[in-house]
Amino acid sequence: MWKLEFPYRRSVGPVIGAFLTGLRDRRVIGVRTAGGRVMVPPFEYDPETGEPASEMVDVASAGVVERAAWVPEPLRTHPLDRPFAWALVRLDGADTALLHAFDCGSADRATAGTRVRIRWRAETVGHLSDIECFEPEPA
Amino acid sequence: MTDPVQFMSHHTAVEYAVPEPSRLGVHFAEQLARARIIGHKCPQCGKVYVPPRGYCPLCVVETTAANEVDQGQKETEDYVQATLLLDGSDTTLMVTGLEGIAIADVRTGLRVEAVWAPEGERGSVSTGIRGVGLGDAVKSWRPTGEPDVSRDALAEHIL
Amino acid sequence: MRDVAIVAFAQAPLEQEPGQTETLMLLPTITEALTTVGLTRRDVGFTCSGSADYLTGGTFTFVQMLEAAGAWPPISESHVEMDGAWALYEAWVRLQHGDVDVALVFASGRATAGASLRETLTFQLDPYYLAPIGADYVSLAALQAQAVLEHTGRTEKDLAQIVAQRRRDAAGNPHAAVSGDVGVDELLRNDYVVAPLRTHDIGPAVDGAAAVVLVAGDRAREVCDRPAWIAGIDHRADPHYPGVRDLAQSRSTAVAGARAGVADGGVEVAELTAVCSPEEIVLAEALGLDDSVTINPSGGALVANPVMVTGLVRIGEAFRQVHDHGRRRVLGHASSGPCLQQNLVCVLEGRDA
Repeated sequence: MWKLEFPYRRSVGPVIGAFLTGLRDRRVIGVRTAGGRVMVPPFEYDPETGEPASEMVDVASAGVVERAAWVPEPLRTHPLDRPFAWALVRLDGADTALLHAFDCGSADRATAGTRVRIRWRAETVGHLSDIECFEPEPA
Repeated sequence: MTDPVQFMSHHTAVEYAVPEPSRLGVHFAEQLARARIIGHKCPQCGKVYVPPRGYCPLCVVETTAANEVDQGQKETEDYVQATLLLDGSDTTLMVTGLEGIAIADVRTGLRVEAVWAPEGERGSVSTGIRGVGLGDAVKSWRPTGEPDVSRDALAEHIL
Repeated sequence: MRDVAIVAFAQAPLEQEPGQTETLMLLPTITEALTTVGLTRRDVGFTCSGSADYLTGGTFTFVQMLEAAGAWPPISESHVEMDGAWALYEAWVRLQHGDVDVALVFASGRATAGASLRETLTFQLDPYYLAPIGADYVSLAALQAQAVLEHTGRTEKDLAQIVAQRRRDAAGNPHAAVSGDVGVDELLRNDYVVAPLRTHDIGPAVDGAAAVVLVAGDRAREVCDRPAWIAGIDHRADPHYPGVRDLAQSRSTAVAGARAGVADGGVEVAELTAVCSPEEIVLAEALGLDDSVTINPSGGALVANPVMVTGLVRIGEAFRQVHDHGRRRVLGHASSGPCLQQNLVCVLEGRDA
């Protein structure tokens, strides 16, 4: 094997930057489009209309699983090194879903409709991985 | 920390298998091990590609073992290249092809004689960058069996 | 619009010598395509190719592959770092200018060169929100599969049935990596890769190369007895991030299909780029294909996925339906990006003289 490596350092701009800054502070920030839709994670343009979006809004750190897919054998590049479920989670206050790992423990718990909350990493730096994963919200 | 995040680090790494050598590549290496550099000669335009790539990019035709050529190196066995001083000559002649003697026994002072190609097979005059040579007229040189000439007798001559 | 037709299609054999280069896979393939219609490389007015350096980790590797097209004396050519179907689209656009009549399109890829295709293809994704968490194409297709099963009421058994059918279809296809009879129950006994997708739900990644020849106007009839005329061709893209759209639908496919004129006469056969089984369901619905349409008679991408060539092969197989099997109206579809993000639809017609 041979390895190709790139140490990228990307500029993030004001919208993605605001989201990442929020993650560093353990807050989730989305963007509201002109049509009133709150996107999390935020994008600089409304994908429906192409209009710029810049009104940042706070949303909750908890929400509901819209879609989940169980991974019995994670790749080394996945967020967790034990079996987990990918989940598209619509956080409370958001109109779009955020993709991340859901540490649900077993395949039968990887179900749409489950309420989950963010498990924050002990040290946050302003990166998507400040979210370690989602975990079931305590009842 | 209140500064807004402006950059995101992303260390990416992708792994690839070391490409398997092609059959042609393996063959080229095998010939190198035998001290032979080969090429492929395009059957259409005649250009020779070294190392061979299996096709001619100008004519866009594949080349195969049938198109294999050497790079001038014709010898496959060890051989001696010798400098001769012919009786009556003051200049030396460089020749290859000594027969009738082991390589290890070849020495300065050894008396040799020409082994001529048959009449009619002595070829035309060959000219190289060093001028006129013997060409194919003399097939090889062999020891005469006479006593060696002393080194001192070979001291004065013109290269 | 100028009438342009596909007149030839050739595909490199699945079995190649060890260490075979893409250039040497392409050279005889391109020669075969041109020779079929009595053309040479000298007759080509424009060349366009598709490939992706990330598959092998090389840089500008398509430049060397261009030698297979015969780039001396210098030729007019272009390239897309995409599936060759988009190279075909560019060649079609170029022929609209009217000054050249013949275009050569080719594509190649060595998908097996990387240690993990799932990891490699993740680099084409959003660098802020998807690549950093390693969201690979199988995981994303699995999320789409969950959405499709819920939306349509279909089951994992239905997916296995699609797979079994495609393998049967592929029995006569020398370019299929898998084919033959396999039981649905047997398939369902396999483990998930990412639920609900099992290994058989994902087309096996293979190395490949293919070439297509486009000819405009009357020249097409001169070189080919039954050209497949491009009656319509269009490509559209959905938003990239999977969380902002309904994964059970493919609006971009629906729009591309409408713009390509699928509904203006319907189609008898559809060769769809469904690398994962649920994608066939999404695409068929988006294109309005009912049971009268034969889907993927070649076996489709579920029996072989020559990455960067797959879409061009679908269009080539659609050409075969017209040219070899006398069909009158067919479509070839290509896709790129996560969860069928970007889609190209090409409608081909066989016209009786």
